[in-house]
Amino acid sequence: MENTYLSELKEIKVDEGSPLFDKTNMFYKEFPSDFRQIRYFTLLIVQTAPLEIKEINLLEQQISEIIKNAVKHGNKCDPERKVRVWYSFSPQHAHLVVQDEGDGFKDLEKWNDFNRKRLELLSRHDFENLQDFVSYRTQLSDDNDGGNALFAALEYWNGGFVFNTKRNAVAMLKKYPQKRQGISVE
Amino acid sequence: MELKIRKNGENYIIDVNGEMDLYNSYKLKELVMKMLEKKVERFIINLENVDYIDSSGIGALIYICSTIKKMSMKLIITNIHGSVKKVIELTKLMGYFPITNSIEEAIQQMDE
Repeated sequence: MENTYLSELKEIKVDEGSPLFDKTNMFYKEFPSDFRQIRYFTLLIVQTAPLEIKEINLLEQQISEIIKNAVKHGNKCDPERKVRVWYSFSPQHAHLVVQDEGDGFKDLEKWNDFNRKRLELLSRHDFENLQDFVSYRTQLSDDNDGGNALFAALEYWNGGFVFNTKRNAVAMLKKYPQKRQGISVE
Repeated sequence: MELKIRKNGENYIIDVNGEMDLYNSYKLKELVMKMLEKKVERFIINLENVDYIDSSGIGALIYICSTIKKMSMKLIITNIHGSVKKVIELTKLMGYFPITNSIEEAIQQMDE
């Protein structure tokens, strides 16, 4: 069988020209970088999403990760620095742009390399060596950093996950399968 | 998040209640480390009453799993469902974590 992990290899891209950065008709909110309020800020955004895409908290959880990265890794929890969020939801999609005032995700290429190795090990079911690739850590990581949020993000945001040139803004799109309309007839 | 420990033979079952998020996941890590200090060798982490987990929660489970593996102790994570299962699947860790569908199955596997 073809290698399923590598055949669908996904990478974090840098592409400021991506249509995902088009903010036309999107809602907007901004927050101070208060670590204690990350889940609350996330709820304020997610509450505008239609019920059918709030599926089992997953949308909330995925958005919360991106806001956490902006607050903690981007703005270093400095309450003077803002996190800006543009968002739009429908039963078929969730589209967000999250921007912080930090120096940008400098380790992006290193992260992609790390993720490639992780996927190679997974494809070989090499769980012994996977041990060293389950969590992406840098010198700035602390005990509460799971080091795995972006692995899931790349899988979840199936319509794209791209950074701007400065790498302090990320745009993402999730497409949901269209549910069949109407009443079923026996 | 609330943590309760119960004993079944040699197995220590940790029932996790509530959300495993960026504010509280460290508590589970701390509890397991304390239990290891007290020479507990067999852990079953029951996630039946956990409906929300984020990367910090997954990170705590990774830390616990790798520490217990290194010490050659035993761990099983059980009753994963809903978004918890989805997040573990998105992270592609279903094959990495030792997982069972029920506590009974976990106890049976511990004895094998």
